[in-house]
Amino acid sequence: MRLLIVDDSNMIRSRISKVVLGGKLPGIAIVGLAHNGEEALRIARVTKPDVVTMDLTMPEMDGLECTALLIKLLPKTSIIVVSALDDKSTAIRALKLGARGFVAKPFTDEELQMALLDVMEK
Amino acid sequence: MASISEEDFRLFIDSIKRYFSVTTQQEPQITSAYLATENIEGHEFNGIVSFSGSYNGHVMVSMPAKLLRELLLLQHETNISDDNLLDAVGEIANTLAGNARKQLGSSLNISVPIKLQGRISADQGARTRTRKRPFVVTLKWNHQTALVCIDLERSH
Repeated sequence: MRLLIVDDSNMIRSRISKVVLGGKLPGIAIVGLAHNGEEALRIARVTKPDVVTMDLTMPEMDGLECTALLIKLLPKTSIIVVSALDDKSTAIRALKLGARGFVAKPFTDEELQMALLDVMEK
Repeated sequence: MASISEEDFRLFIDSIKRYFSVTTQQEPQITSAYLATENIEGHEFNGIVSFSGSYNGHVMVSMPAKLLRELLLLQHETNISDDNLLDAVGEIANTLAGNARKQLGSSLNISVPIKLQGRISADQGARTRTRKRPFVVTLKWNHQTALVCIDLERSH
């Protein structure tokens, strides 16, 4: 399974990478790291990820707009929103746009692993 | 502009505690929480997120390098350059501001964080004050002190 990590924070991109490469999620390969929505779309066109972890508050293009465009581009890609915007209406909006999971920041390693395992099983 | 309630401020204290508890399994000690009258002196690394929409103002997270380094090392991060410390303090400000939408409502808009290195006051960081007396929370985590300044008012 091919994973693209989208977040404007180095700390979060690195944290998600470490959780994925930590050994509890065999079969996931990180195919790209993007720090905004525009970069995510550029990388996704080339790498065609199966799963994307998507931040929402980012410069250039935010995560909701990117989610909508990514789903149009790659309808089979599973998007997991990883965001501090953890209010109900944001989560519903993201799910309506096609996201398949939601992890609220701050998150534990286990919460992220569960969300990734969940989309892997679907 | 209408004033915001004590409960609204309390949510930031809860968010600060939760941030450290979840990411480090070590809750910070809240050492003071007060309405500032004087200029608020910050630490070396600062993350500022602005609010618009149903509320106006900003939240500023100000932390020393040592605290941020320890926070990153606990997350197994080996890059503890100043750039990464700035990134971390910006992300913490982003998380506290984002989590506030749960209680303050989704018509609260938040900006991407502005990150500033160097000892600045909260007023310098935000350019202008929204409240006469911003709400300041000081904390201690792993023997290091930090502060969060919440300068926020309802728009209508």
